[in-house]
Amino acid sequence: MAALLWLTHRQDTEEQRATLINDVLWMEQNLGFQFDRNNSHLTQLGPELLKGGTLSSTTQARLRQALDPESGLIRILWLHTNGEVRGAQPPYTDSHLVGEAGGTFPSSSAHRLSRSMGRPVYSDAYAVIENQTQFEVHVPIFDGGRYLGSVVGVYSLNNMISRQVPWWFSERYRVSVTNNLGVEIAAKSRVSPLSSLAYEIPFEPPGHGLSLNVTAYKSEVRWIPLLLMGSLCVLAAAIVWSLWQLRRHMQRRQAAEQALRAEHAFRKAMEDSLNTGMRARDLKGRITYVNPAFCRMVGWSAEELVGLLPPMPYWAPEALEHTLAVHEMVLGGNAPPQGIEIRLMRRSGERFDALLIEAPLIDSEGRHIGWMGSMVDVTEQKHAQELYRQQQERLQATARLVTMGEMASTLAHELNQPLAAISSYNTGCINMIGKGDMSPGELSGILEKIGKQAQRAGQIIRRVHAFVRRSEPKCEPVDLNAILREAVGLVEPDAQRRGVSIHQDLAEDLPTVAADPVMIEQVAVNLIRNGMDAMADAPRAQRNLHLGTRLQDGMLILSVADRGKGIPPEVAEKLFAPFFTTKEEGMGMGLNICRSIAELHRGRLSFEDNPGGGTIFNFSLPVQP
Amino acid sequence: MTTPLAHIVDDDEAIRDALTWLLRTRNVAARTWSSAEEFLAGWQPDFNGCIVLDIRMREMSGLECFDALLERHNPMPVIFLTGHGDVPMAVSTLKKGAFDFLEKPFDDNALVDVVIRAMESDARRLASQQTQATVSGRLAQLTPREQEVMHLVLAGKFNKVIADELNISMRTVEVHRSRVFEKMGVRSAVELAQLLAPGRD
Repeated sequence: MAALLWLTHRQDTEEQRATLINDVLWMEQNLGFQFDRNNSHLTQLGPELLKGGTLSSTTQARLRQALDPESGLIRILWLHTNGEVRGAQPPYTDSHLVGEAGGTFPSSSAHRLSRSMGRPVYSDAYAVIENQTQFEVHVPIFDGGRYLGSVVGVYSLNNMISRQVPWWFSERYRVSVTNNLGVEIAAKSRVSPLSSLAYEIPFEPPGHGLSLNVTAYKSEVRWIPLLLMGSLCVLAAAIVWSLWQLRRHMQRRQAAEQALRAEHAFRKAMEDSLNTGMRARDLKGRITYVNPAFCRMVGWSAEELVGLLPPMPYWAPEALEHTLAVHEMVLGGNAPPQGIEIRLMRRSGERFDALLIEAPLIDSEGRHIGWMGSMVDVTEQKHAQELYRQQQERLQATARLVTMGEMASTLAHELNQPLAAISSYNTGCINMIGKGDMSPGELSGILEKIGKQAQRAGQIIRRVHAFVRRSEPKCEPVDLNAILREAVGLVEPDAQRRGVSIHQDLAEDLPTVAADPVMIEQVAVNLIRNGMDAMADAPRAQRNLHLGTRLQDGMLILSVADRGKGIPPEVAEKLFAPFFTTKEEGMGMGLNICRSIAELHRGRLSFEDNPGGGTIFNFSLPVQP
Repeated sequence: MTTPLAHIVDDDEAIRDALTWLLRTRNVAARTWSSAEEFLAGWQPDFNGCIVLDIRMREMSGLECFDALLERHNPMPVIFLTGHGDVPMAVSTLKKGAFDFLEKPFDDNALVDVVIRAMESDARRLASQQTQATVSGRLAQLTPREQEVMHLVLAGKFNKVIADELNISMRTVEVHRSRVFEKMGVRSAVELAQLLAPGRD
């Protein structure tokens, strides 16, 4: 760019210089022509002037013409062959001469030189008053080889310069003439130029060390290249700026893209690593998105699932109705916020329990575009819960057993003491009698002691009785149906797990009875559990437990009918005996306690065969008199 | 020296009374203690006979009492009575040195047999203890020279050899030897060896 600028500038300068030289040469030529023309005029005039006598009018006219200010001549002299002035037009005087020039006018050396050379010769320039400089041209006149004399034209250098330099030239340049000493002797203008652009050529003719100086006033400003250069620069700057802007923009964009990519990757990783299944559906229930965890859970791939409409392939066929109802509920916007548990199916056909939490899917503009569901596999959890519950039950049973064992052990120790004492006394007596030295008094003392210990044992037994008696029923008016419903609520989860369906056939408007609700509930739960246990091995379809209440002969009767194997007669005999059980984990106290409770309430507990197979237990309570 | 007694430790008075009566019918004297604490408080190192210890008592249990007795180096045999047989417990007590372990209800005469055996065992222990006491008493009467001579005699050396070793005359050896026999109450070297044998192990 700089080189281009420099080159342009250089070329410009050189061009200007060339123009200057051209102009100067033209100027010089112009001056040369003028001198030649004047010389020829003087040559023509020569014979006329040197003829002597008065000048004819033609000659006078021609003389005037030659002295035209345009020609630069200010005076014409004509000289004898010896150099003396014969005449002059305008009339001759040398009063205008200054300094040493006085007396040297017209120049005799020039005269002699022109005469000897036979051609016009210019004299030295010389100063005249008014700070003018003049010079002469001596033109020898010959007539057929005879020298007639010379015609001298006097030029004013100042006039010459001011007249002969055209206006356009002087407008652009300062023209000046310097002598051989370098002193400026004439100039077209007094204004000194600013530019360094100058040209100097010898001013010849007249010569004699004069030189013509032409200086440009100022270098011409070449607008078009400058403008071009300027606009180029501006354009370049604009390009650089826009490139820089573009680069910045690109950087920003790249940074934004990077951030977006990272964010996307993070979200993707988050979604993929979630153990919670995520599924999005549109308003019609069509699947629009599933995450890997969901796919893992159900076993179908995302490609297979996206776009499907209900019923979905992972809905368990047996729970189809329930699932569909849940689906409708979700689409209706009535999904419970705490989630719904549903049973679903994996591709392998394996069933699993899922906790489904649905929420409306709102897009960035706030429109409701579908439903977002998260799904957690709770099969293990449920299983664990179930295990925990069973374990807890077993633990409780064990704890009861341990407590009972403890009690039995205490009782045994307590009873053992008097019995051991009796035994020892007894053995002692036998020993004595064997020896034969037993006095009746001693014997009766020992027997009394034995009797005391037997009484002590009896007292222990009585204490146990009193302890058992402490659990008297706390009677209050109760609604048998309400108690039964509560009992069913307690065993319901267990029943579902075992696949037993409980049917209730409860008589309306039953009178209340005075009973201990806790005890009655215990009886109900016990009977229901027994019924379910009885049907544990029965086919699933047959596992129906019928509960009924009725009023009969002043007794409220609660009946529990199972469809199990029934009770064989040898079992029936011992059914209510304590510690008799047919179950592996049973304690054999259930029915015994139930019967005790019935008796405490002046009621009865009985059983009969169920006509359709199984057993019916009837628990009756007398209605309050 | 106290008379040998069966020490009955039980918190049940009827049991104590019945056992005392039972033992008396078999001519075994008994002394009763109503708790382990009471027995430990009244215990003397020179008690002999045996201890009948009920495991289940209100305060300190029989096992704890047994441990305390072990600490005191009680020499009497201990017979445990328990209401509920517990084999590991029985084994551990027997390992610790209990004499026997009887489970209630037990055959009463069998218990008495065990008590008698225990008391006999204790009597033997006591007798051997007394013999040893006698021997050491007699040994204490010997002069240092006599002891030297005695050890050499027990080593089976002849009087001549002993005289040479001790740089004394044979006559002096014979005097020492007869003195030793006299003081130790024996008549020959053989008897002397027998007397000292149990105390030498």
